[in-house]
Amino acid sequence: MSDSGAGMVSWVLNGDPVESPAGMTILEAAKAHGAELPHFCYHPGLSIAGNCRICLVETNRSPKPAISCSERISDGLEVQTHSEKAVEAREGVMEFQLINHPLDCPVCDKAGECTLQDYSFDHGPDESRFVEKKNIRHTKDLGPTIKIWGNRCIVCTRCIRFCDEISGTGELCVVARGDRSVVDVFPGIPIDNPLAGNVVDICPVGALISKDFMFQSRVWNNEHTETVCGGCARGCNVTVETNEGFVKRLMPRENTDVNDWWMCDFGRYGWRYAHDDRRVSVPRRGAEAVETELEAHRDLGELVRGAWGGSKKVAIVVDPFLTCEEAHLVGRVAAGTGATVGGWLPPSGDELTFPGKFKISGEKCPNRRGVEAVLGQEVFGSQAKAVESMLNSGGVDLVIVFAGFPNADCPDALASAVGKATARVAFTLFDGAWSEAADLVLPSASVFEKEGTYVNEDGRLQRVRSKDRPGDAQLAQPGLHSASISSPWVTSELVALQRALVHVGDAERSLSAAGVFRQLADSNEHFKGQSHRGIPATGVPLGGLAPAGVGEGSES
Amino acid sequence: MTDLAFSKDAMKEYEWMLTRYPNKEAALLPTLRIAEREFENLDPAAMKYVADLMGLSPAKVLGVVTFYTHYRREGTGTYHLQVCSTLSCALRGSEDVCAHLSAKLGVGLGETTDDGLFTLSKVECLASCDTAPMLQCNDDYHEGLTLEDVDHLIDRLREEAKAGGAA
Repeated sequence: MSDSGAGMVSWVLNGDPVESPAGMTILEAAKAHGAELPHFCYHPGLSIAGNCRICLVETNRSPKPAISCSERISDGLEVQTHSEKAVEAREGVMEFQLINHPLDCPVCDKAGECTLQDYSFDHGPDESRFVEKKNIRHTKDLGPTIKIWGNRCIVCTRCIRFCDEISGTGELCVVARGDRSVVDVFPGIPIDNPLAGNVVDICPVGALISKDFMFQSRVWNNEHTETVCGGCARGCNVTVETNEGFVKRLMPRENTDVNDWWMCDFGRYGWRYAHDDRRVSVPRRGAEAVETELEAHRDLGELVRGAWGGSKKVAIVVDPFLTCEEAHLVGRVAAGTGATVGGWLPPSGDELTFPGKFKISGEKCPNRRGVEAVLGQEVFGSQAKAVESMLNSGGVDLVIVFAGFPNADCPDALASAVGKATARVAFTLFDGAWSEAADLVLPSASVFEKEGTYVNEDGRLQRVRSKDRPGDAQLAQPGLHSASISSPWVTSELVALQRALVHVGDAERSLSAAGVFRQLADSNEHFKGQSHRGIPATGVPLGGLAPAGVGEGSES
Repeated sequence: MTDLAFSKDAMKEYEWMLTRYPNKEAALLPTLRIAEREFENLDPAAMKYVADLMGLSPAKVLGVVTFYTHYRREGTGTYHLQVCSTLSCALRGSEDVCAHLSAKLGVGLGETTDDGLFTLSKVECLASCDTAPMLQCNDDYHEGLTLEDVDHLIDRLREEAKAGGAA
């Protein structure tokens, strides 16, 4: 056997000598060497239970097959993952798992992403030998958002360990024993915690079902967009699943630097505003709808051109939902018009940290730090105060307001001050005091329709992607806005601002978000050397920004 | 039912019990025994009391209580008839004992008679294989059963209940 490095173990995987760090389990080490083993109860974010037995392998250490998720590698260990004995053992386990399973895949929401289905395909028998009566277990609500189909439960206890170890709320348990055992809650204490939705994600079968997603869509019909959640400054990595442009659900994406494997229910179920009928989806002059977006963008360009060169008094109010790219374009408009830029933040909420280290930020917006990195550390602090007093003292010729708030719940001190400017432009998701007083109202894109980057509270730069395809190609379809109000095809601030700059003559043509980011990287030291393509799936810490909790960058 | 509490003696016994186990959680089974004695059965309020007393989640206590067949749960009759149905007893006719009891009492497995006297259940091995078939009635074993023995047992228990001597 070759020399082992410090802390390395030499072992044999399917006849090949390999090395892995000491302390790893067979399952993890085999995966690292490309041999993925089936598993139900094992989850990298939870403690090891070793109860499902689907990960059995043959070893030279015992005549019985070993549970690869709990047995650790050691020098001289020889593992066979696909020997006759190992496969037979797993097939035996699979047959038992399916004994009482209802095989109701056609009506099960998990079908298509169910590990029981996958492993049944790999290891399951063609037909059941079980001729006895199947056990019936309960189907009921476990909480306001979660329902259990007990017949599908394989009692892997992932959900129970999640509630014990990650959320620390301990609402779930296994009741009864043997083939009657099933997951349940204590009478009168439903599963109702801010992380409850995760138990549905980690359920390897269709036992735990999210009521929000129940019967909404077959999972294989959903389009997947890898983006970040806009619910708070944590910036949890998520996959937005859509069907014909409609959001169906949000699923967390693994990122051990940010959210591990989890996300909170506030973010998970917080997407409905994007399809709210009350959303501003059509641009308008005062109360009158503008026929095409292109026309509305020309209006904006005309107003900006009128103020170009610093001849007028201009104020811009930004929101922390803008991407870094959009903030950069705001910066260009401000530079050209000599505008004063300040920002407003949504009211903050409670910061929550769970026993499993998962954190929900109290800052209910995704990109305060990104906007600060682009437009100045004081943009939501002293600059905001400056803009407010400037508006209140009167004589402002043009104000441009960005109000991408997911609800009309934002500070009204600035909102009422906006009305005092001579010309008023508002980008907004929902109508509020700022848009009711505006001469030109443009729809804001929600987090789900934006292309670009966000910087989370730790200073991590992450990609945001639009659910709408083909993303930036909205540029190629000028003037298109959807007839359906509940699924507006919104042209983002990124496009509107660039069209205005082209109109003024400050830009030759509109660029994609990646193109705007290139300009930003060239001109801003924080973003130096970065590019959209270069940002890893898990994001990258941004240069020169202190990590979270340092508290620099004042909050107004 | 929020005012459930152990009596002074029970609390003393509980505290002594804690000293015999490496951690609190390990003392859950005997504590449930005390609670069963104190509160007659382990209904949700009793389980909640034990959970709060021991600093465990109520769900964990529920899981433990429902795992075992030998705790008295809410709605259990005065006499809990647990018929062993594991190998030795099964070979020696426990199915017949169950069927006979079921017909005689007019209840299915896991059900309680309308008069609240009997609960019938089928349980796993009660470690009395040498005297199969057998059943456990509350804390007593009745071994080497014939169907006549079962009839006698039921009659005797009914009389006992009538005389007000229920255990």
